[in-house]
Amino acid sequence: MAAARVVREPSPASRITGVAGIVLALLAYWLTLPPVAATSLVLPIVLGAVSIGLGAYTAVDGRRRLGWGAISAGGLAILLGALAVHAGRGNLDSAVVWGPLFASMFVYATPLTYAALGGLFSERSGVVNIGLEGMMLTGCFFGIWGAEQTGHWYLGMLIAMGAGGLLALIYGFFAIHLRADQIVGGTAINFLALGITGYLFIDIYGSTGTPDMSNAESVPNISISNANGFFPQAFGDLNLLVWISFALLILTYLFVFRTPWGLRLRAVGEHPRAADTVGISVFGVRYAAVTFSGMLSAMGGAFLSIGFVHSFNQNMTEGRGFIALAALIFGKWRPGGAFAAALLFGFSSALAQRLGSIPNWATYAVLFQALPYVLTLVAVAGVIGRSIPPAADGEPYQKQ
Amino acid sequence: MSEQQFEEPPRAPTGGDYAPSVAERLALYQRAGGFVTPLVTAIIAFFIGGLVVLASGSNPLSTYRAIFNGTGLNWFFPWISSADRTLAALNLQQTLLLTTPLILCGLAVAFAFRCGMFNIGGQGQYAVGSIMAVWVASAFVGMNGPLHIVLTIVVASVCGALWAGIAGLLKATVGAHEVISTIMLNWIAYWIGSWVFALGGPLQSHANGGSVPVSHDIQPNTHLHVFWGNPVLQGLHIGFFVAIAALVVYWITLNRTTLGYQVRAVGFNPEAARYGGMSVARNYVVAMAIAGGFAGLAGAIDVLGWEFRLNVNDIQVSQIGFIAIAVALLGRNTAVGVFFSALLFGALLNGTSTRHLDPSVFRPDLAGNLTLIIQGLVVLFVGADVLVLWLWSQRRKLRLARADANTAVTS
Amino acid sequence: MSAAPVLELRGITKRFPGIVANDHVDFDLLPGETHALLGENGAGKSTLMNVLYGLYHPDEGEIVVKGERLSLGSPSDAIEHGIGMVHQHFMLIPVMTVAENVVLASEPTHGKAFLDMGAAIARVEELSRRFGLTVDPRARVESITVGQQQRVEILKALYRGADILILDEPTAVLTPQEATDLFGILRSLTEQGKSVIFISHKLHEVLEIADRISVLRRGKLVETRQREGATEESLARAMVGRDVLLRVDKKPAEPGETLLAVEDLQVLDDRGLEAVRGVSFEVRAGEIVGIAGVDGNGQTQLIDAIAGLTHVESGRVLLGGRDLTGKSAKEALDAGLGHIPEDRQRRGLVLEFSLAENLVLHDYDKEPVSRLGWLRPGVLIRRAGGLLKAFDVRGGGPATRAGALSGGNQQKVVLAREIERNPSVLIAAQPTRGLDVGAIEFVHRRLVEERDEGRGILLVSLELDEILSLSDRIFVIYEGRLVAEYGPDVTEEELGIAMTGGRSKEAA
Repeated sequence: MAAARVVREPSPASRITGVAGIVLALLAYWLTLPPVAATSLVLPIVLGAVSIGLGAYTAVDGRRRLGWGAISAGGLAILLGALAVHAGRGNLDSAVVWGPLFASMFVYATPLTYAALGGLFSERSGVVNIGLEGMMLTGCFFGIWGAEQTGHWYLGMLIAMGAGGLLALIYGFFAIHLRADQIVGGTAINFLALGITGYLFIDIYGSTGTPDMSNAESVPNISISNANGFFPQAFGDLNLLVWISFALLILTYLFVFRTPWGLRLRAVGEHPRAADTVGISVFGVRYAAVTFSGMLSAMGGAFLSIGFVHSFNQNMTEGRGFIALAALIFGKWRPGGAFAAALLFGFSSALAQRLGSIPNWATYAVLFQALPYVLTLVAVAGVIGRSIPPAADGEPYQKQ
Repeated sequence: MSEQQFEEPPRAPTGGDYAPSVAERLALYQRAGGFVTPLVTAIIAFFIGGLVVLASGSNPLSTYRAIFNGTGLNWFFPWISSADRTLAALNLQQTLLLTTPLILCGLAVAFAFRCGMFNIGGQGQYAVGSIMAVWVASAFVGMNGPLHIVLTIVVASVCGALWAGIAGLLKATVGAHEVISTIMLNWIAYWIGSWVFALGGPLQSHANGGSVPVSHDIQPNTHLHVFWGNPVLQGLHIGFFVAIAALVVYWITLNRTTLGYQVRAVGFNPEAARYGGMSVARNYVVAMAIAGGFAGLAGAIDVLGWEFRLNVNDIQVSQIGFIAIAVALLGRNTAVGVFFSALLFGALLNGTSTRHLDPSVFRPDLAGNLTLIIQGLVVLFVGADVLVLWLWSQRRKLRLARADANTAVTS
Repeated sequence: MSAAPVLELRGITKRFPGIVANDHVDFDLLPGETHALLGENGAGKSTLMNVLYGLYHPDEGEIVVKGERLSLGSPSDAIEHGIGMVHQHFMLIPVMTVAENVVLASEPTHGKAFLDMGAAIARVEELSRRFGLTVDPRARVESITVGQQQRVEILKALYRGADILILDEPTAVLTPQEATDLFGILRSLTEQGKSVIFISHKLHEVLEIADRISVLRRGKLVETRQREGATEESLARAMVGRDVLLRVDKKPAEPGETLLAVEDLQVLDDRGLEAVRGVSFEVRAGEIVGIAGVDGNGQTQLIDAIAGLTHVESGRVLLGGRDLTGKSAKEALDAGLGHIPEDRQRRGLVLEFSLAENLVLHDYDKEPVSRLGWLRPGVLIRRAGGLLKAFDVRGGGPATRAGALSGGNQQKVVLAREIERNPSVLIAAQPTRGLDVGAIEFVHRRLVEERDEGRGILLVSLELDEILSLSDRIFVIYEGRLVAEYGPDVTEEELGIAMTGGRSKEAA
């Protein structure tokens, strides 16, 4: 098979058709939902088919990824649009209320955001972090245990961050100093975290017990408004940690792209030897980045237990750490992109949960839970354009 | 002689856009240390596990002994009494029942590793295999028994292969890293499984008024024959031999066929393979598909051998595919290694299960997590070249002093 | 030039397992001078400079900078004392801009927290002006030329206040025009008081730019002398210790029919830029055709295209009359092409495979090695045994892992594999890179033998000695075109001029 095929340049028109295809597909789906809630099946099918056609044209013209993106968006639009029409207006109205839906989206997205931003630091320094899931789970358990032991949520949060940071430090030692394979190491961390948190949970609370949260504070919500209408419902009563995640997004961007330490972080991830020769401590930067990623992921996990669900059970994170990693890749290792991807995945989880309340759809709601993973697969397939990691990502560094 | 010759072992060529490939590193691991390294790795892992037990207030030695008693491995000791032997036999059957899918899923991980890919998707491929197996085996009423069994196995393996093939295809065409795609496919399979047998799901059995999220039972004549022990008490079925046969097939494929030659070449050095005229992309797809086939087969064997039906809970709780990662790594991706390593983890799983562990010595649900910790430690240590690099540097000193050349990796 | 040296290295010794890379080397540098450090590959030049730059710690000896004895634990120490290094393989971050690369780790800031890229850009522009190093501070490094990238490296050193600049084989990656520009820059630097250490193995450059020349051979200092009175021959003798010119004894060629024909080939590189622009030539039976050129002028893409490893934009490749254009590597190999790739460890061999397995890398799916997909190990081992003996491969037998062999023996295995297949045309890309003298001799002799058997051999090499020694006809490739054709008696100078895109434009 020949390498590096360079075909003739695609025309500018095909980019327009590709984007148009995706937009039409989104429109098709949105029209079937409240407040428009079109009842005709024809609408999503026709618009979706047009998307597919535009996508096919785009793909054939050479923009394969954009084209396939439009085709899959069109296909999804037909499917989801048909389901929406089928569900009936009344059901949809109760399930798809945009305000609470958005609020729900933020809640589901927040653990992902923390972990994804944490992962961003690690990967930008050149250390692949597959262990986000394990670090998140660690924070999840230690957060609630800490909150229950000390009686204060912020102490629980600190303990969670400490535990996550410690686990990350261990991982960092294996990955950085011992130059272990990072993916294998990350997988090991996940097993370890699962085993350790499960072990401690059963040992301390028994296999049917749950932490007594009456003694523990949970992270407070910030109540701004109780009114109706989209914005008050979406933003009116969000948890403190959700607001902190917004701040974190901005801080991350500023740090990584606007400060000297961020420049050095990125240098270490792109070309560690070059960074070494100007006197930057590659190991030091990487250790700091990995530990920080553990702390942030733990925060995300702690939000889950003491900010949202208010309890703990084994393997509570259920793969969210991997979705966060996917969000990071989807977002091309940029804070804004990762945040947007986390919101997208959070939205699909929120939608799945609300659709579960529609009587006919209870079983399908389960399938909706698979949507974030499907989206990730689509992203990883490069439909969103090449996702280029930092150049030295995953390669252990050797001083000579 | 250039100054570059004083470095550490050559770095593995990058496999894909995201993080380097494992095959060449593991090859180094395979070469150095022989049988000793995995043994030492396992011992250290168990030792640290013992520390965890100690830290939580129990006696590690009695805990491990209690676990060992439940495994049935003492059946191999000729000096035990006959009453003990009967009990040990029962335990050993259970252990081997668990070892069977671990061997097969371990091969699923190992085969992909040999081609330079990390197949974390064994769990999803196993799940797909079991779902298809339950479906095919519960349908076609009146079909001839052995034929039905063969059909089930074939369909399940093929579906497992297809499931894994998606990841292989993505890697071959757009360079998507198989770790991400297989993890995603795991969860997709998890949710499909949760849906398909759930209340109102398409394959749910309506036998109990449709209130239980379970599949139909498989046809009675598709049950695999139990050759050791009492079928009522879930003795060991012939699927065990299928697993052993799979080990042989694995070895033969890798070492005696041109397909295996290509897979290994691509795994060790995709660039050289390409220059040699091989299609790297095609090998990625084929290797993942074969790996998925092993895992799908595991699903079928379990369903036909002792599960006979599937609960939603079964799909959600199963960890076989993940334990298989530790199995393959500890077994260093070789047929013999996978066998012993699967036996070890099968014994560990069985010995720590509720049925066999004496709760007064150590609580079974705690023991289950202990297994996870040990599993994690094994994978962690295998991933780190600590021991290996030390051994390698010993070798290098010998080589520079003109020792004999070492033998190649052919098995 | 005043008397007191700005740098002195006294008795520097550095050992690695099995070799003494630097053996009590003395070296000094005067202010405002350009001092060349000359030596073959492996003579110890880079090691010495790595010691000076703090990357290595010397086992014995001392470093004195501006009269002060120093112990340099890391590059930061060296930088602090005014020593800057421009590495042969650039230490630049491709996705970052020139300014970001220059100021990395010493960034100007707003109030210590935020980057002040405006100040960085201004500073870069100021240095550029002062020393004549024109480059756009806002450009990303991956999009500027190699010559410009080198200027960025120099700017990095100057930005950190380097008074002593070490340049490690700086012209290895430059076109001749860029090299001339570099020399101008170096003169500008020394006029303003900087001192330059110039590592090279290219004699004519050293004679052009250096004030003094130090020659290293096998880790020891051979001599330090002024440039006046030095000739290429005297320097070469000092470098190698004997009279150089190694030419293989060979009969004149008796070329037969055309075996390989390349017609107007156009190939793009992996960035989509033209790498091969309409190359045409032939290789006939019984002759060795050599292609000389500076690295990066399209040789790699040319070979890859002929061998079926990369896409051909237009043009044709004909092997024995058969059109191979656009076919896969496997088809090319099966059609009678042999290929000794440039990098034997990355592309030529699977180091983890045994020698027997490596020897069948192309033919594993054919009789008698396999039948219907089934490998026959006995056949493998027997064939391997014979081949290894015929090619005098030492260090192991058929079951030995390829990675355990020395470079020379590994290359013999590659040769054995390719020649055994009886190709009509054999491509040899850098066949003796990194090999010791004995192995080089073997490879050269063997290639000539194969030529005499009637094969056509296409030799692509960066070593002019090799090209001149082996080739019956010589082409020069420059910027993707064949710009000249010569017979075997061409001089190095003529070749050098053609390789720089110079006057003789007998385009093929």
